[in-house]
Amino acid sequence: MLASLAWRNIWRQPVRTGLSLLSMALAAMLMVFIMSLQLGVYDTMKTGALRLFDGFGQFQMPDYLEDPDIEHTLINADAIAQAALQVDGVTAQSPRAGSFAILANGDISFAAAVIGVDPALEPGVTSLGSSIEQGRFLQPGDDAAIVMGIGLARNLDLELGDGVTMLGTGNNGSVAADVLTLVGIFDTGIPMLDRQFTQMPLSRFDETFGMQGNINTIVVSGENLSAILSAEPQLRAIAAQNGVAFRNWEELQPTVKQMIDLDISTSMLTYITMIVLVVFIILNTLYMSVLERTREFGGLMAMGMRPGLIGRMVWLELLFLALLGNGIGILLGSTLVTIFANVGVSFPAMAEVFAQWGVPAVVYPMLSPLSMFLAPGVIVTAIAVLGFIPFRRILRLEPVSAMAEAGT
Amino acid sequence: MMQALVTCRGLTKVFGKGELAVHALDGVDLDIHRGDFATLAGPSGSGKTTLLNMIGALDKPTSGEVTIEGTPLSTMSKAALSELRLEKIGFIFQAYNLIPVLSALENVEFVLQLQHVGAAERRERATAALHEVGLAGMESRRPSAMSGGQQQRIAVARALVSRPSIVLADEPTANLDSTTTAELMELMSRLNRDNGITFVIGTHDPRVMAHSQRHIEMIDGKIESDTND
Repeated sequence: MLASLAWRNIWRQPVRTGLSLLSMALAAMLMVFIMSLQLGVYDTMKTGALRLFDGFGQFQMPDYLEDPDIEHTLINADAIAQAALQVDGVTAQSPRAGSFAILANGDISFAAAVIGVDPALEPGVTSLGSSIEQGRFLQPGDDAAIVMGIGLARNLDLELGDGVTMLGTGNNGSVAADVLTLVGIFDTGIPMLDRQFTQMPLSRFDETFGMQGNINTIVVSGENLSAILSAEPQLRAIAAQNGVAFRNWEELQPTVKQMIDLDISTSMLTYITMIVLVVFIILNTLYMSVLERTREFGGLMAMGMRPGLIGRMVWLELLFLALLGNGIGILLGSTLVTIFANVGVSFPAMAEVFAQWGVPAVVYPMLSPLSMFLAPGVIVTAIAVLGFIPFRRILRLEPVSAMAEAGT
Repeated sequence: MMQALVTCRGLTKVFGKGELAVHALDGVDLDIHRGDFATLAGPSGSGKTTLLNMIGALDKPTSGEVTIEGTPLSTMSKAALSELRLEKIGFIFQAYNLIPVLSALENVEFVLQLQHVGAAERRERATAALHEVGLAGMESRRPSAMSGGQQQRIAVARALVSRPSIVLADEPTANLDSTTTAELMELMSRLNRDNGITFVIGTHDPRVMAHSQRHIEMIDGKIESDTND
């Protein structure tokens, strides 16, 4: 009875109800879309940054993250690699060894990170090869070859085919010296990577740095980051069984994580402001309607309807309005996200900034239960809770004064 | 002597305080018996509506006591007073006070819903009540699609459908033309005569008073006269 009456009551003033629904639906739609876009950007940012160099996860010795010393070699590397490939969601693995060295071209020298990678396996875990601007990426069969970032090549005044002298400290304190040929120059758009990172074949690295078949990390990857996140408990278990550590994306890219966290906290202010505005607009509308209907409530009380029942009816009106408005908003927002998830949203003015985080200028919003239901859910809950305001007013009504209030 | 359905003893109602105090009721003693068809007459401000509100358990007196079927209202909680109004009192208001989003039938059924009467019985009794007041065939119409007289008939049906002990009507014909007033009064007289329903009607309309058997005249919050035809 109450639900039916409440439903009919909200359509007494169709224009007012329509406007209330419209404002709620638009706000919910906007929030669903913006949140989906935000999640899309985060996902692209995480995936972009990780795909470029780190991969979605790495096995390392526990102290390697804090102190990436070449001597922190991974134990049971082969067993870990094989076990990781058995985990659902893991599609590729690639071993790496790394150190720092001085690279020189004639009188010019710069320090850089030198990473030994398996040219056959590395493209399965990272996408650095697709950032090659000149020349090519490392290939199976390469020996004294090296690829480096465009910034470092420029600083060293190197061109493709030039020789690079490398001097560093090998495993167990040995001297690591070599002359390599520059076969590729990559341009990731990330200045730090382009100025400080190089890759060379793992076999040559092993020889030059005296690794004796040891490596420092195993990089793993999957169809997408979510697949590795789902597989994380099993990967951590493998790491624990072998006395090593598994590093997830947050540990590998703490700055990306911090940036996302910062962005979430600032955008939350915007969301909260929008939610507060919408909630108060709707509450105000309904409170006005309660004031207008005070005489009617007095009549209902005279008939023997308890104030609590009238209050519940009005609360249901509020809830129906909130559910309907936000339902429409979710529908519109999801449709919009689905459309733009295919065509993308272009931010040409932000291209340079985005590039620093491996994010392209076209971003694809990502629909998820969180982006669909979080903001509308908060609006509905807030309205349902704050509905006690008109409810309390109704509880305090007395039949005679209520009927007299509108001048009967 | 038969026990009165309603008794009012020493009823006073004062609005405001100090020099601004208005004595709307000033020591009213009154008995209403089953089957009465009484009009409460008097000029505006004489206390008719205030007295009806006291009898109808809508308001509390400043002093004095109202009892309905032997139960003193002053001892009852707010919830119990709601229950009393629902079960024992029917109201007819000048402005009809119908629920605009409900049809004529639903308006009448609403009281029965509050009484938790089953759906089939509810529908049957509400339909019968509308037939009784001459609104057969208009069950599905909304109040806004009906004339003032028809709306007041719905209000009468709604007041009667719960089988109350007493029906209180406050200026029920104030918004009606003379033909409709005559029809409505004829209807209420018939319901009183045939079904023994007790009516107390607050009015200053002589056409309404002409239909009643008992005339209670109020002036300045006091009962000036109480006569039977």
